[in-house]
Amino acid sequence: MEKGNIFLVVKDVISEVLPDVDSETVTIDKNLKSLGANSIDRTEIVMLSMERLGLKLPLVSFGGVENIEEMIDVLVNNT
Amino acid sequence: MLKEPGNEVAIIGMGIVCSIGDTVQDFKQSLKKGVSGITRLADRKGPKLSVDIGAEIEKFSFLDQFHHYSDLPVEVLKKAKQCAQRSPFSVQASVLPALEAWQDSGMFASEYNPERLGVVVAGESTTQNYRYGLQADFENAPEYLSPRYALQYLDSNQVGVLSEILTIKGEGFVVGGASASGNVGIIKAVQLIQLGIVDTCLVTGVVADLSPIELQGFVNIGAMVRENSFQTPSKASRPFDRQHAGFVYGQASACVVLQSCGVAIQRGSVVQAKILGAAMNLDGVSTTEPSITGEAGAMNMALHRAGISASEINYLNAHGSSSPLGDVIEAKSIKQVFKDHVSTLWVNSTKGLTGHCLYSAGVVELIASVLQMEGEFIHPNKNLESPIDDDLRFSGATFEKEKIKFAMSNSFGFGGINSSIVLQNCHG
Repeated sequence: MEKGNIFLVVKDVISEVLPDVDSETVTIDKNLKSLGANSIDRTEIVMLSMERLGLKLPLVSFGGVENIEEMIDVLVNNT
Repeated sequence: MLKEPGNEVAIIGMGIVCSIGDTVQDFKQSLKKGVSGITRLADRKGPKLSVDIGAEIEKFSFLDQFHHYSDLPVEVLKKAKQCAQRSPFSVQASVLPALEAWQDSGMFASEYNPERLGVVVAGESTTQNYRYGLQADFENAPEYLSPRYALQYLDSNQVGVLSEILTIKGEGFVVGGASASGNVGIIKAVQLIQLGIVDTCLVTGVVADLSPIELQGFVNIGAMVRENSFQTPSKASRPFDRQHAGFVYGQASACVVLQSCGVAIQRGSVVQAKILGAAMNLDGVSTTEPSITGEAGAMNMALHRAGISASEINYLNAHGSSSPLGDVIEAKSIKQVFKDHVSTLWVNSTKGLTGHCLYSAGVVELIASVLQMEGEFIHPNKNLESPIDDDLRFSGATFEKEKIKFAMSNSFGFGGINSSIVLQNCHG
């Protein structure tokens, strides 16, 4: 799947987990913490994104991820 | 916890969401009119059960209910949303009445040392239906189980959520006592205050969000009304009536804010009623059997701790679950404690209207008792047509006007748990 499409999936998940965040402000360079996500929110966003994409990656794969784009790169490299 | 001057505990705030009201004022109106919340159960996942009626909180929506709390500080509402919008029903249902009770108590309007505030969450196994709802997806793909699960399946998650929203930093914990959980929670909060550990304590009676397994389980043990026992659901909860055939499942989440009377006076809190005495004991049995010795013992101990005699109580909110054996044993226990005074003691059971709210029942019925004191009425025993005992003074199909001076509220639970609380009216 293309990076752009994966971003759309991730963006949907972010608005589900963080309903108060204006989706306009969710750009690919942002990090989830700066959008107000706590550690459980962040894990849930990663897991729901994997579920929607049919991926089962160990959470450690996302260990060094700094922003949404890097998270998407991990997902893209495994689709 | 013998009553000593300056060691009394006041009820300064109340909140509720149940089948017959989603605020305290709604609930009060329904009590007075004798409105029943019992209907056919909403469709739920799983096999067909042997029970199809209950008093559910219908069409619950956490965020839609926020309009009731528009006067609350914006940052509190924001925090409540953040903490609970991804939580199970049993947590969301606790947050709303906690906000109502905290607002009612004036706690939002004044400065408090958070370390002098406590929270007691009354209810056990409160996440059964949440877990049941996750089971099928889990069987397919355990990897996708929400990371929230390990936090949210714990009853004590309620402690975390409520303490974060209300900035409570003293003691906080969960208590369980089967159907007496609510009273046990109130008793533990009273003790925390009397021991000087906290000044103010929130007690939350958690909604019993039963999964199909628990619903069937209560039928199979012979405690819950079976499907087709009554054509009209609202007729099925009949405490102390000859046709009683077991309890009807009820849902309610209820909160009270308790405060040391000394602190309440200093701070100018509005005291809605005082808890003069409270007691619990055990029959020392592992079964469901009730006992006159245990029930009468709890009532007598609560009176002793309150420092008043049975004849001074003029209203009793009975446990009255509509259980054929339970009602008979409670009626006998009441007569043993109140003797000749039963002729002047009004008795009703809120479970005739709300169903049996299990973990929260004690808190629901404490609130019902305070509301009847405030409104000077005894709510109807809606379905009491042919009483099992002619000596007791039960209210009938409509409310009775009465100025309650002192009240008692009973709760009994499986495992031989007996509890009783004595209240003093502080209105006029």
